[in-house]
Amino acid sequence: MFDIAHILDVLIESYPLFMKGLWITLKLTVVSILIGTGIGLVFALFKISGIKILNWIANIYIALIRGTPLIVQIFIFYFGLAELGISAFWSAAFGLAMHNGAYIAEIFRGSIQSVDKGQMEAGRSLGMPYGLTMRRIILPQAFKRALPPLGNQFIIGLKDSSLASFIALSELFSIATTQGSRTFDEMTYLIIVGLYYLILVLLFTLLVNMLEKKLSAGE
Amino acid sequence: MKREMIRIENLKKSFGDLEVLKEVNLNVNESDVVVLIGASGSGKSTLLRCINFLEIKNGGKIVIEGEEVDPKSHNLNEVRQKVGMVFQHFNLFAHKTVLENVMEAPVMVKNEDKKEAEKDARILLDKVGLSDKADVYPAKLSGGQKQRVAIARALAMKPDIMLFDEPTSALDPELVGEVLATMKELAQEGMTMVVVTHEMGFAKEVADEVVYMHDGQIWERGTPSELFNNPKEDRTKDFLSSIL
Ligand SMILES: Nc1ncnc2c1ncn2[C@@H]1O[C@H](COP(=O)(O)OP(=O)(O)O)[C@@H](O)[C@H]1O
Ligand SMILES: [Mg+2]
Repeated sequence: MFDIAHILDVLIESYPLFMKGLWITLKLTVVSILIGTGIGLVFALFKISGIKILNWIANIYIALIRGTPLIVQIFIFYFGLAELGISAFWSAAFGLAMHNGAYIAEIFRGSIQSVDKGQMEAGRSLGMPYGLTMRRIILPQAFKRALPPLGNQFIIGLKDSSLASFIALSELFSIATTQGSRTFDEMTYLIIVGLYYLILVLLFTLLVNMLEKKLSAGE
Repeated sequence: MKREMIRIENLKKSFGDLEVLKEVNLNVNESDVVVLIGASGSGKSTLLRCINFLEIKNGGKIVIEGEEVDPKSHNLNEVRQKVGMVFQHFNLFAHKTVLENVMEAPVMVKNEDKKEAEKDARILLDKVGLSDKADVYPAKLSGGQKQRVAIARALAMKPDIMLFDEPTSALDPELVGEVLATMKELAQEGMTMVVVTHEMGFAKEVADEVVYMHDGQIWERGTPSELFNNPKEDRTKDFLSSIL
């Protein structure tokens, strides 16, 4: 049942197929995290703006995303966007981006608020407008602090992208399930796909650690 | 007659129910150095922050260089360019080098050419005795060095007025002198300055007027020798004896 030689055989044999799925998973994750970072930044700025209506919008958005299962969100995006002629890939990407965005908004809000408020005052006292001070002084410092939790969110996003298999996107997990049921060898394919995710996560963790070291070099 | 740089009339400021400034009146003429003293919580910082519009007044008038500034209709960013501020905790931009700290506002706000701004910044750093620290990050500086960079950074905007909020209070005693020396030099060059400090030596030597604040009001004012040697009010006497 747990035959390592067999698993290795299947691993080598299925390698080209999984590579296609891996590519889709990576694209999906990177795109949804990038868009999610943009969304998260906007909503974080809404939350700290001190403008009531913007606070409200951000709070409602975050409550909706956090309060509902991701799979429901993905299906809503899939059926909603399909009507507009948007592909399964992009509906999944938007769904995951909106989902990641809510969590990233909280990450950014925390990291922006952790920057000493004297930094904003110093900028303002020099005649720098709020937006300019935010962009030039606060956000660069906040981004640096947000990096570890952002890396964490990237890993969560990578694993969450497996839910896109439910809307018929041939990413990693969907390849494992289709191959598994085709060959009646589900367990082997599940172990293999688990390995792919594990290696991706480990590689990415290394990358984030390197980036953090590099960024903290200056100060 | 010297030109009037700051005129404050009946200035009021509250935080919620707490009245922090109650009808404050103050005039500062060109090249004058006014030292504000008073117990913690008496409203000194709030007064300075109102002059720079980091806090928005609830009542009264603030006239900067002859022009009444209405926070609603004035571009406060332009007013702030004329009024530099130095903070107790320096507030240097932590992710920028000393040189970048000084160049930031001239380049980003005044759209100065980078080369020009760098040249000016280096002249200012030389003036505060830190030309060798241009490429260092703030975390590597002593408190006294940080504060001198902060002064250079404020001066880079070529302000007409400089506000100092307890600029030496966060410093180790042995570092106070270098910052006061820089400020003294600035005063001698004719900068208009409002300084919150409890450095009486500095006040005696440099100030044209000393203002004692108590409970959100200006309780007594006078030349340094009047206020320090012959205070009229009991509260002023009590305060002075408490800090000596
Ligand atoms: N942003 C603020 N919100 C609420 N209360 C404040 C704020 N800033 C200052 N205060 C209060 O106003 C009073 C005067 O403070 P401050 O001007 O800092 O005095 P000082 O500089 O003379 O020590 C204090 O009681 C302080 O707690
Ligand atoms: Mg104070």
